Amino acid sequence: MALSTEQKTTLYRNLIRADEFNRMMYRRMMQGKLIGFYHPAEGAIAPGVAAASFLNQDDNLSPHHRGHGITHMLSKGIDIKYYLAEHTGKDTGCCKGRSAFHFSFPEHKVYMMSGFIGYNFAPVVGWGFAAKRRNQGQVVMNCSGDGSYGQGRAHEAMLMAQNWKLPVIFFCENNGMSIFSTAMEMHPKEHISSLADGYGMPSTIVDGQDVFAVAEACVEAIARARQGDGPTFIEAKTLRFNEHDIGTPDLSGWEERSEEEHASMREREPVRIATARVLDEGLLNQAAIDQIIEETKAEVQGVEDFADSSEIARPSVEELMDGVFAK
Amino acid sequence: MRTITFIDAIREAIEEEMRADNDVFVVGQDVRGAIFPHTKGLVDEFGPERIVDTPIAESGMYGVAFGAAQEGMRPICDFMFGGFSYVTFSECSVTTGQYHFLHGSQHPLPLVITAGVGTGQRLANDHAMSIHGTFAHHPGIKVAMPSTPYDAKGMFKAAIRDNNPVVIPWHMGIMMQKGEVPDVGDDYIVPLGSADVKREGSDVTVLANSLQLQHALEVAEKLKDEISIEVIDPRSFVPFDMETLLTSLEKTNRLVVVDEDWESGGFAATVSARVMEQGFDLLDAPVIRVTLPNMPVPGGYMEEYVAPNPERIEAAVRAVCA
Repeated sequence: MALSTEQKTTLYRNLIRADEFNRMMYRRMMQGKLIGFYHPAEGAIAPGVAAASFLNQDDNLSPHHRGHGITHMLSKGIDIKYYLAEHTGKDTGCCKGRSAFHFSFPEHKVYMMSGFIGYNFAPVVGWGFAAKRRNQGQVVMNCSGDGSYGQGRAHEAMLMAQNWKLPVIFFCENNGMSIFSTAMEMHPKEHISSLADGYGMPSTIVDGQDVFAVAEACVEAIARARQGDGPTFIEAKTLRFNEHDIGTPDLSGWEERSEEEHASMREREPVRIATARVLDEGLLNQAAIDQIIEETKAEVQGVEDFADSSEIARPSVEELMDGVFAK
Repeated sequence: MRTITFIDAIREAIEEEMRADNDVFVVGQDVRGAIFPHTKGLVDEFGPERIVDTPIAESGMYGVAFGAAQEGMRPICDFMFGGFSYVTFSECSVTTGQYHFLHGSQHPLPLVITAGVGTGQRLANDHAMSIHGTFAHHPGIKVAMPSTPYDAKGMFKAAIRDNNPVVIPWHMGIMMQKGEVPDVGDDYIVPLGSADVKREGSDVTVLANSLQLQHALEVAEKLKDEISIEVIDPRSFVPFDMETLLTSLEKTNRLVVVDEDWESGGFAATVSARVMEQGFDLLDAPVIRVTLPNMPVPGGYMEEYVAPNPERIEAAVRAVCA
């Protein structure tokens, strides 16, 4: 589905924002200014931007864990300052500073995160079930990586979504890697999307380094789901430039990834690909691009200032106990 | 009051709550055809959109309930047998229990998990194990289990209306037992977290639930001229009504905890420890537990002497009073 000029501009801006936020998170992790860990998204930011930029507020989104979902959430219109505050243990955090790296923005229908890879496949069936029952065109964008499709619950979700023609988009961000293991070793076929064939679910493979190509597939799948035509499987072939999470070795299998592999990956850097395209098409000129970058840097600074100026959350055990159950 | 069976009381609770609230629905495997009678005929009134059968896919099936609850619906997820919930245990225990708290206590998860449990059918471990103790171990989940038709209807209604995940198994050994229940339309609930003194006594307190409550009441009747037994049904494990138990111990000073779960790490151990911490001075003798020995529940005929039974309860009562 062809994209409008406005849609392309939105994608480009969100791609720049995703890139800057990822750099900020990487830097803060190295500076010791983040709680827990960080799974850097460099090289893999285009799919999330494409998947989330054209969702409505009442569409469900389950972000990929890479980049801790920031790419996806900022593209859906969520203010990242509450997430950074969470990730720094502050009382202004989206989960009151008690969750380390989890996010929750129920008003945007980004309900949860879990440390269990593939956890998303259970609730997406329920979101799709509720959406279909309400029949108001709500869709479910279910983002996760190639590794998550090793889970049996991925099968269960695809089975049930296709049985019931639920408005769920199975969005696989295939970067070819689990922590160290490769998708080639862990899956019998080259394309994860070939799983969809077994359910009779339409599928497509897109270049995950090209935000516009991914978005075209997403816009089409979202439209299908909205009009009640059921699920679509989208496989975005992407790349992971960094190690799995900051501090772990950068291995493929049990051997260091080579300089050559890194060099060839970096030729497929998504911001550079998108910038060449917007300049080439005359969508934006260099001055406009510079302005987007400048505005984004200011946005990131504001987010950091908010988190840094917030208080560390140290509620009493009694206060915490009071939050175990809903009233 | 009229008299109906335990399983029909559960069915009436589901039926009435589904009539009252369009967001209540049942999801399970073969619930339309009613593998157990508590969903019998419900599909005729509510249709397959609200009495929902899934493939044999427990994670996906529970996912329907979990996701729909986040979307504001009030699902009842029926696992058929309690042990089957363990197929998707990461979802229904860890992810469920932590959802509200870990995400800032800002969003409720109103769902019900139910299943048949318990010994007595000679079906062996996977179809006979109790699940209340395991779920009670995971914070953020309410756990309750009714013992009479009256409690079954009132507690299922309370569970469905609760804004939290509630695990409410029912014991297969008492499903056809009859008891008094108010007329259809006489709305009532039995609040979660309230224990019930089922028989008053003065020499020893026996805490027991479901089939084991029946056994405890049998023993109390048998020994009435010899030992006066107070029988308390906890009804809820989380939250647990410690006050009712301590009040009873002020009178009897002796406690036997009967639990159709394993000895190791079970709810009986939790109760014993709490009584020691909060009511040590009330006790004239150490607490005795009557539980399943730490072996997988055997099937066949040996189940009846391995599981807690009236003979073992009587022996424990005599020992604690000796």
